[in-house]
Amino acid sequence: MSLRSHIGRLTIEDMEVILNVTRDLAAPHDLEAMLNGVVAAAKQVLKAERGSVWLYDADADEMVMEVATGIAPVRIPASAGFVGACARERRVINVPDCYADSRFNPDVDRASGYRTRCMMTLPLVDHADTLVGAMQVLNKIDGQFDANDEALAAVLAAQCAVAIQRARMTEAIIEGEKMRRELETARIVQMSTLPSKMPAVAGYDFHGMSRPASQTGGDTFDLAVVDQGVLVVLGDATGHGIAPALSVTQMQAMLRMAFRLGADLETAFINVNNQLEQTTAQDRFITAFIGLLDTTQHRIRFQSGGQAPILHWCAQSATFERRGPTTFPLAAMQMRSLRPSVSLEMAPGDVLVLLSDGVYEYCNSADEQFGEARVEGIVAEHRGLSMAALGARILAEVHAFAQGAPQEDDITLVLVKREGTANGTFARSIDALPSLVAFTSDFFTRYGVDPTLLYPVDFALEELFTNVVKYAAGGGARVEIDMATHAEGIEVVLTDYHAERFDVTEVPDAKVDLPIEQRRPGGLGLHLVRRMVDHVDYEYSDVERRSRIRFRKNLRT
Amino acid sequence: MLTIDSKGGGLLVITGRLDAAQCGSAQAALDKVDGVVTLDCNGLEYISSAGLGVLLKTQKRLLAEAGKLRLTGVNRHLRDVFMYSGFDQIIDIETAG
Repeated sequence: MSLRSHIGRLTIEDMEVILNVTRDLAAPHDLEAMLNGVVAAAKQVLKAERGSVWLYDADADEMVMEVATGIAPVRIPASAGFVGACARERRVINVPDCYADSRFNPDVDRASGYRTRCMMTLPLVDHADTLVGAMQVLNKIDGQFDANDEALAAVLAAQCAVAIQRARMTEAIIEGEKMRRELETARIVQMSTLPSKMPAVAGYDFHGMSRPASQTGGDTFDLAVVDQGVLVVLGDATGHGIAPALSVTQMQAMLRMAFRLGADLETAFINVNNQLEQTTAQDRFITAFIGLLDTTQHRIRFQSGGQAPILHWCAQSATFERRGPTTFPLAAMQMRSLRPSVSLEMAPGDVLVLLSDGVYEYCNSADEQFGEARVEGIVAEHRGLSMAALGARILAEVHAFAQGAPQEDDITLVLVKREGTANGTFARSIDALPSLVAFTSDFFTRYGVDPTLLYPVDFALEELFTNVVKYAAGGGARVEIDMATHAEGIEVVLTDYHAERFDVTEVPDAKVDLPIEQRRPGGLGLHLVRRMVDHVDYEYSDVERRSRIRFRKNLRT
Repeated sequence: MLTIDSKGGGLLVITGRLDAAQCGSAQAALDKVDGVVTLDCNGLEYISSAGLGVLLKTQKRLLAEAGKLRLTGVNRHLRDVFMYSGFDQIIDIETAG
């Protein structure tokens, strides 16, 4: 039967109600208000005593009725009862006498004390032919639901389905937006717990950074000076989102607290593990490297709960040593004891490289992983850079490797370098120049110092050394030279024992714009040194009769 | 460490490091040339202020005899030294590549 033939029979009131409903449904509503409106309209238009709307939950394949706020919704399998049959078959089911129909379940009536006489159930299907739910009206006030009611209900149901679907989508978007904001807040909290300043310890260079894949990450790191040394932490909790972010933030805070309270490495590790185990979901864990660096003994003691690889660049042998975890990941299970911590000797120029698997396992568009070999290659080639610059280099190489493939996992880097140092003693003679050149060249090679610094360093060192030989002939037989790398470049110190005071910084600049007739050889050395390097200073000890010249050459950034 | 080879026609090829330890031998080699002298510096890795002194002394002598010294193939580092010392104003310098 066509709708059109029935619309003629609509009363003015019915028409008005339907139009009102249509208008109301077009306005933005929350789902609950929308459902109430639909039920009220259905009752009025169809002259029913009661009405309800069931929504289809596609994930659970269930029909769900929101009874009232604060009460758990009623759920039935999408295959059960009239509602299920209506939804499944997508057709109106009009039952004039419920108790005469074997499909009717009288339990609901028994529970509520209400007596259902007749019932009409309509499928709610939106314009994209998606099942939204079912609408049900009970007990026509003056009889039974007839064909006219069915047609009317169908008009109403079509309007309702579209409106409900829109409201559900709107809610999903709002929910998503709320989630996004919550995650954003969590990210700010998490990032604020990461150290913003790196520890300033002479002879060491530290760098740590973390870049979450989504708003919040499951990675953390820490680099902080504590009584026991420098705390070095890299942690990676399984999963993404708020829960892992909270776990690693908790871990980081607990570790800092434990060490501030004077705990030793093993005690802190065991206690933090056991506490985390109690608060973390059963299927969650955190892989973490936790180490304490003694910057006077140059030794780092660590425990690693499932965090690997631990890469150690050994400058002396120019090779990597790889260490594995010492125990299982944190929060995986309770722990009573722990094997002794592992010690790494940090020799001059050594670099400790701790990266989360977001780096190693970064996949490019060809589904290839970044891998350890690439990391080792970058570190070996660029170990002479500052750790911040090395970190940036690693990220840049990962980015280039990705070829546009998105970052799927958090990326966290912790880099610790003991600066390269060398000490040499040279005869006070021009004949020592070749061995001086070799000493500098060895230093540059061993510590991977940027070769563009070699010329100016060679130049300044030779000029100053020559000066010492020429002008402080009364000094000791030997001159000592110390070289050290630092984050910006290189520092060189010439020490001359038993020398007269001769402050090279007080020598005036040469007059370099004189015509050639007026120019004399000599006097140019210090003039040039001042232009070739970044800083020169002089120190004299009357007691020791020790003369010390120091200069620095920095990399241009 | 340092070699200076005469290729004839006033062309000299210098290779190695012209530092304080090499000044004596360099000066001896340059004292032997006259007229317009071209010093090919493509193989010159390094020059110190003492080395500059050798070049200055040579240029003064050549200019007085109506000759001159010119340098070719000077690398970036050497060029800086010549510039900072004002030697680019008293010797013709042609940089490498």
